[in-house]
Amino acid sequence: MAIELKREEIGDAYVVSIQGSVDIYSSPELRGALKAGLDKKAAPLVVDMGGVSFVDSSGLATLIEALQRVNGYDGRLVLCSLSENVLGVFQLANLDNIFTIADNRDAALGS
Amino acid sequence: MSGWQGIKLSLISDKRYLAPVRALVRESATIVGLEQGDVEKVVLAVQEGLANVIRHCYKDQPHERIDVWVTFDDHEFEIQLKDYGEFVDPITIKSRDLEDVRPGGLGVHLMQTVMDEVKYEKNEAGGTTLTLRKRVPDQPPQCEQGEHDSSEF
Repeated sequence: MAIELKREEIGDAYVVSIQGSVDIYSSPELRGALKAGLDKKAAPLVVDMGGVSFVDSSGLATLIEALQRVNGYDGRLVLCSLSENVLGVFQLANLDNIFTIADNRDAALGS
Repeated sequence: MSGWQGIKLSLISDKRYLAPVRALVRESATIVGLEQGDVEKVVLAVQEGLANVIRHCYKDQPHERIDVWVTFDDHEFEIQLKDYGEFVDPITIKSRDLEDVRPGGLGVHLMQTVMDEVKYEKNEAGGTTLTLRKRVPDQPPQCEQGEHDSSEF
């Protein structure tokens, strides 16, 4: 598979950690992992992207969908540990100011 | 490096095969001398171009043909993506307003932002050929043998 996903419940938080590429092929799998946290109305829902080597517009779309659902229940979605390349894609799409982006997982859980 | 160099490959429109194409483009762009940041931008543009072919031209059917040409010289890195579906009128291809935050519609914006040229043309098969071009920065002059300051040794 293009990605490996790890799901953790830490207190009220739900953490999805990703290893690999988030693209048109792997995005449906990520969508499924996020759905579990969204259905629980986790606060925060944390997406640890420290292991993500590549993201495309399909990956961005999947995260925007999650953000819209989180906003629907007044929750919080926090992305963390983005590499320079991955953060660059968010910046190209003007999404770095739309998402809450933390430097690391501890900061994301404490935000 | 001097003169024309290039690679051609054909793949089926299966999303699983985009990762190996990305690897090829990444290696080729590195060889030609693009800076690391530009290498990743070119990889992203190719990914978006291929994803658009699969999604919009072939409607996610995984057994259709896509041809990829990667060509480069000292001044330019070019990728052409050729499909065999229906021609997509460039007028209908536009990115969405970035202020309108919603899923989808970002691929064209990303391609146009990171590449120096993005061009759609009808090809002889009736499909679309997408050409993506990136200028290669001038390379610093190579140090000729014997030019080293002997004090370095």
